[in-house]
Amino acid sequence: MRVSALALKRKQWEPFAFASPSLLLISLVIVFPLGYSFYLSLRNFDLSVGPDHEFVGLRNYSEALLQDGRFLGSVWNTAVIIAPALIAELLLGLGIALLLSRVSRGRPVVTALLAIPAMVSPVMAAMAWRMMFGVKFGAINNLGRQLGIIDVYFDWFATPALSILSVVLVEVWHNTPFMMLVLLAGLQSIPQELYQAAKADGATAWQTFWFITLPLLKFTMAVGVMIRMIDLTKLFGLIFILTFGGPGGATETLAFNTYLVGFKDFRMSYAAALSYVIVLAVLALTLVFMWISRHREARTA
Amino acid sequence: MSAVVTATPLVTVRRANRHRVQRGLAGLLTYLGLALALVFFLGPFFWIVTTSLKGNEDFFAYPPVWVPSEPSLAHYGRLFTHSSGARYFTNSLVISSLSMLAALVVSLPTAYSIARWRFGGGFLSTVLLVLRMLPAIALIIPVYLMYKLLGLTNNYLGLVALYTVVYIPFAVWLLVGFLRDFPVEIEEAALIDGCSRLRALIRVVIPIIAPGLAVVALFAFIATWNEFLFAIVLTGIETKTMMVLVTSFTSGGTDTFYGEASASVVLGVLPAFAVAFFLQRYLVKGLALGGTKG
Amino acid sequence: MRWVRPLAVFTIVIVALLALAGRPGHEPVYGARPYEGTTIRAVVNAEYVKYSLSLVEKDLYDKLGITLETEVIPLDAFVAKTLLEFNSGDSPWDLIMFGPSNMPDYGRHFEPLEPWIEKLKLEFHLDDIVDVFRKVMLRYNGKLVSMPYDGDIHIMYWNKVAFERPDNQKKFKAKYGYDLRPPKTWKQWDDAAEFFHGWGWDGSQNKLFGAGASYKPSASGYSYHWWRQRFFAYGGQYFDASMKPLINTAAGVRALEEMVRTMPYYPPGVLLFESEEPKTMLVKGEVPLLYSWTSTGKRVGNPAESVIVGKAGFGIVPGAEIDGKIVNRPAITPGRGMAVSKYSKKKEATMKVLEFISLPEQSLKIVMDPKTIMDPWRLSHLRSEKFRKAFPDADKYLDAIEATFPFLVPDPVIPAADEYQRKLSFEITEALAKRKSPKDALDTAAKEWDKVTERRGLEKQKAFWGEKLHEMKQLGIEYRPDWAAKAK
Repeated sequence: MRVSALALKRKQWEPFAFASPSLLLISLVIVFPLGYSFYLSLRNFDLSVGPDHEFVGLRNYSEALLQDGRFLGSVWNTAVIIAPALIAELLLGLGIALLLSRVSRGRPVVTALLAIPAMVSPVMAAMAWRMMFGVKFGAINNLGRQLGIIDVYFDWFATPALSILSVVLVEVWHNTPFMMLVLLAGLQSIPQELYQAAKADGATAWQTFWFITLPLLKFTMAVGVMIRMIDLTKLFGLIFILTFGGPGGATETLAFNTYLVGFKDFRMSYAAALSYVIVLAVLALTLVFMWISRHREARTA
Repeated sequence: MSAVVTATPLVTVRRANRHRVQRGLAGLLTYLGLALALVFFLGPFFWIVTTSLKGNEDFFAYPPVWVPSEPSLAHYGRLFTHSSGARYFTNSLVISSLSMLAALVVSLPTAYSIARWRFGGGFLSTVLLVLRMLPAIALIIPVYLMYKLLGLTNNYLGLVALYTVVYIPFAVWLLVGFLRDFPVEIEEAALIDGCSRLRALIRVVIPIIAPGLAVVALFAFIATWNEFLFAIVLTGIETKTMMVLVTSFTSGGTDTFYGEASASVVLGVLPAFAVAFFLQRYLVKGLALGGTKG
Repeated sequence: MRWVRPLAVFTIVIVALLALAGRPGHEPVYGARPYEGTTIRAVVNAEYVKYSLSLVEKDLYDKLGITLETEVIPLDAFVAKTLLEFNSGDSPWDLIMFGPSNMPDYGRHFEPLEPWIEKLKLEFHLDDIVDVFRKVMLRYNGKLVSMPYDGDIHIMYWNKVAFERPDNQKKFKAKYGYDLRPPKTWKQWDDAAEFFHGWGWDGSQNKLFGAGASYKPSASGYSYHWWRQRFFAYGGQYFDASMKPLINTAAGVRALEEMVRTMPYYPPGVLLFESEEPKTMLVKGEVPLLYSWTSTGKRVGNPAESVIVGKAGFGIVPGAEIDGKIVNRPAITPGRGMAVSKYSKKKEATMKVLEFISLPEQSLKIVMDPKTIMDPWRLSHLRSEKFRKAFPDADKYLDAIEATFPFLVPDPVIPAADEYQRKLSFEITEALAKRKSPKDALDTAAKEWDKVTERRGLEKQKAFWGEKLHEMKQLGIEYRPDWAAKAK
């Protein structure tokens, strides 16, 4: 004991020394740019006009929130994509996790296989599905025609509603495995004795699920949903490849619209402001997430 | 009495049989459900792989040809020669590997600091959590402008620095978890023997949490490999990654460049398959905590 | 003998330099390949363009020793990325492909050609360039800064089988009361699209479609090109003299309403079609009508993929009947030009490359190949015996192109052209996707245009536009508010 205390006392700079490289890098590459971005958002830097800019206060923010139809549309689109995607991922993920938990042989293999879609890039997922959605030679239409379900070519992006549906479908395919793994972890943490006791009491599978599994999974589900929701507000790569925001602006998400403003219109300051709106949204969601975790920790303490 | 005694076993057997059938049915449905899940989640990969091996007659045929009649690697060949596929694959490989290593080297000491000495307390942990959730779009505008000024666009150094730093919060979080599970006594023993902290870390801790390190490393690799927004803005002809390459094939619809497109997708998802293969056992823990969100 | 050492060093250095200058594997024949070992970097906006350059790369290397390295930046990001680089005062590329409508934004980054023409005795054969391209694609602030690479204009294509089958002609006459002929007005086009949609007008049992189009808004916007050929025929113009947008006047609304109403007669997927998809449908005999770029003609005549070789007609884009006369307003869509970056460190070699790829014989190779999507831009292309015999009716195809030249309507060639076009195209597709009414969509577009004008500076834009307005008036194109109502 004495030796350890001595050791600790002797090297008080050590904790800081160990942590400093990453702290330094984070300050340079994340914190400083974030500050610069905020600074930019209060000005009117527009690369298409010229290199000079001046202070305009909160004008960018008020324009975005009050006047920019396309930005507000992107908020709506993001919400419209998030809601069904979250529900589908939760339900599907839960279903598959339950199925997996009943299987003992080969579970690691099947889990690993099912996890793969979540580990590919959204860009790759979108490209694969975009080809599968191909009107004339895509897998889905080919299969549909072969099975006699569809007659002529079917365009999966013909209308705004269909496009959103297609985006949600690809999103669900891409990220349900993540939810599945989270829920599987949650299921595995439920003590087996509870199940055995229930069986001894003569509970049916449904009763077991509803009264034991589900309540104990609540926290895990909340965590999974929160993480997914935060990720979904950042939706970009999938849109870029699958629909490029189309048809019209039907699938333009928050991040995608911000990208267009910054890298097509060159309105750097306005894009910085938009990105801060996204940051604030993510921050709010993160705080909710933290509150939930702390709430749970407090309860189990 | 004997009638009752002989009746009970029969009832028990019948009930047991009914349960067996129910269990058998449940089991069947479970396997059916999992099979459907496998078809849904892996089907697209099957189609993309076969498409990348198909020739024109197969791809444009109706009734549709699901298995290539004459599989060939011609599309991959064209991807490598005409679309510089080899170069971009290398870029992805190099950038992801360097970022992975750098992130580990920098994150491990930091995680150690937090795990052993509660460095930064709750404040640092909160900050790191928030940074983990930070969207790339928030960084890309200022970073782009800064990099343009410093000449760091289209440059390995710039990209690796960015990817490394962006992954640090997550790596630290994961490593803190691994370190907390690590038995302190072994470490203390080394320290009593006269090791410095750093030496203790390197010689004692790392070998034991090596599997954990591998998990973090592989996830860092994949997160960087999959990253898109920074890649399309900050790369140029020399440093383009596989993710950016795939965007060249979206014009002309999905039919004109189907070969190159599908081949580049196959190459682009290789790391995912590799990681899934190597990390089967760690997947639930690592991925469930959001390991590959790039 | 103190000079022995320095001399020895000097000699060794010279020998080393000479050895380094000569590349292994190539015979360093000085003079035959004046730019031996130079690599020029080009940037283009599609794989097709890269492919087209590959057609002349070998000759380029054999003649000049220059290796061409081409980077492809996808269409959607092209203007943004290239201008971003230029505006920051540098560029990693020497040779730039660009859309001439964006000349006001690009022009100041290009190296003027005339001093180099004098210095290197370059020969660009300027009088061989088709008049309209010479006017639109070459100059910035009066200085010659670029050469055409692709002469994009729109002409009309039709499937002769569809129009000449007696069965079809009878049915059409019975339904519409006039003879079935390749449409000369937009009304006739819409009638034909309606007529041909949904059945086998080629005599087969297949369900075919009424007409082809590209309605994706991407890049400078496809749907906008399709719309403006109606819009101008109905008397429209981009802005008036005070920079007030005129796109949401009756002409614009009528044009867009017609497009929305006839959406059902177009193939599924049309809202995301870029340039090539409708061309593919035309050459596979799935749509009987298409107006599109002139590169379509080459694909029509390519037996490797076309089923309508020798069975296609070529003509001028439909117009509107005003007071008994037909007014055609075909579009000169962006096209492509090639220029030398002002920030290039290898200007001389790049100038030679530009000269080389612009040579009549070399450029003919590029515009004749059906896999590039480059279109003829030299008179010698249009008159070339080789080209005119390249496929059945190739001569009629080239004649249709030439006949279209006098009526072409350019893009608004003012600063922020790309942004104006993009914003308008976006709103047009919003209306086509039924997310907004045509009037709302065009009103929103006009508001967006005002915002762009304000950001660039109203007075500046007015000055630029004033010039273009005048030029277009001289071509006979001006705002006619009464046409929208009386056009037939």
